[in-house]
Amino acid sequence: MPADAERRAKLLRAAAGAAFLALAVVVVLIVVNAASNGNSGDTELEEVAAANAVFAGIPQRETVLGDPSAPVKLFEFGDLQCPVCKAFSEEVVPPIIEKQVKNGEASLTFRNFVIIGPESVDAGTAMLAAGEQGRGWNFLEIFYRNQGKERSGYVTDEFLEAVAKAAGVKDLAAWNKARNSNRLREEVAKSTGEAEAIGFTGTPSFAVEGPGTEGLESLGPVPSRETLEAAISSAS
Amino acid sequence: MSFPSEDNLRRAIAFVAALGVGVATYITIADSGGGAPACIAGSTGCQTVADSTYSHVAGVNIAVFGIVGYVLLLATAFFASDAARFAGFALALGGFGYSVFLTYLEIFKIEAICQWCVASAVLMTILLLLNATRLIGYAGTNEAALAGGR
Repeated sequence: MPADAERRAKLLRAAAGAAFLALAVVVVLIVVNAASNGNSGDTELEEVAAANAVFAGIPQRETVLGDPSAPVKLFEFGDLQCPVCKAFSEEVVPPIIEKQVKNGEASLTFRNFVIIGPESVDAGTAMLAAGEQGRGWNFLEIFYRNQGKERSGYVTDEFLEAVAKAAGVKDLAAWNKARNSNRLREEVAKSTGEAEAIGFTGTPSFAVEGPGTEGLESLGPVPSRETLEAAISSAS
Repeated sequence: MSFPSEDNLRRAIAFVAALGVGVATYITIADSGGGAPACIAGSTGCQTVADSTYSHVAGVNIAVFGIVGYVLLLATAFFASDAARFAGFALALGGFGYSVFLTYLEIFKIEAICQWCVASAVLMTILLLLNATRLIGYAGTNEAALAGGR
């Protein structure tokens, strides 16, 4: 066999082997990835893409959504276990984000107001930790869309981690470290204290601040969408 | 069976790999600004894909690996040797396999399609076909005989 022909045969055999190996690796990767959701007990979440789409293209920093220098600042005090907050996040808040946050008229800041129980603190610190990576609002929305029954024990580490991953938290180690820190637990306690000091008694409660208000003005618990829209307009 | 000339295959590989470098570089730059590549027709698929945890490996955007892969593929087009032919095929094969996996993730895990990722997958598929044709057609060919072009 001539040397060139021998070299050619060797190369083609190696190429066929590489192609077979590549096929095997892809199949294994897909099978392992598919199994990781079915067998390891990972949480299957609903409406992840729809929740993330709400915030596409809107800047986020910590728990502030929208332009941080927007003239009007709207504050939402919520409890992640609260079913009314969930309904609000799905029905009332998205149109406000679309109409008045996206255009830079107002920013929307989330503050934890724990009224239900210790699991709300775990969820709230996890949200703040996601906020440190610019994914707080995605975390909040995905959490609400997959919310379980109050105090039913669904707020596990596994659930929170699944929400964080779905929200796009990229450094899970840093997120885990932050959410278990006293610093963020104290922040949840502090914002709960602020809500009580304002006089809020339920969630979600709102407050607004802008050139047209005298400091922070309470809008009370569960305002209508019209009330929130009008409050932003008159505060600007 | 007649194959396109190796020079033509190399030119085609260089052209498609250069396009790949452009696509991967655009995705990397768009992501580095904290955003995502712009999708045509207002689709939010690119944002959803860029926001997913699958878009980064060890904190590095996978488009960076794409740039490296396309640059290496581009480099193989400049040499008419068996090493370059085999390296081009192996790189394109790896890139194609990874693109298949990423497309699976987009459809079944992230549930969103990013047009730029699809563009990269199509380019990598073309590169695999070109490099496979080059290897099958010209493996073992006398390198000196090619010096004057073929």
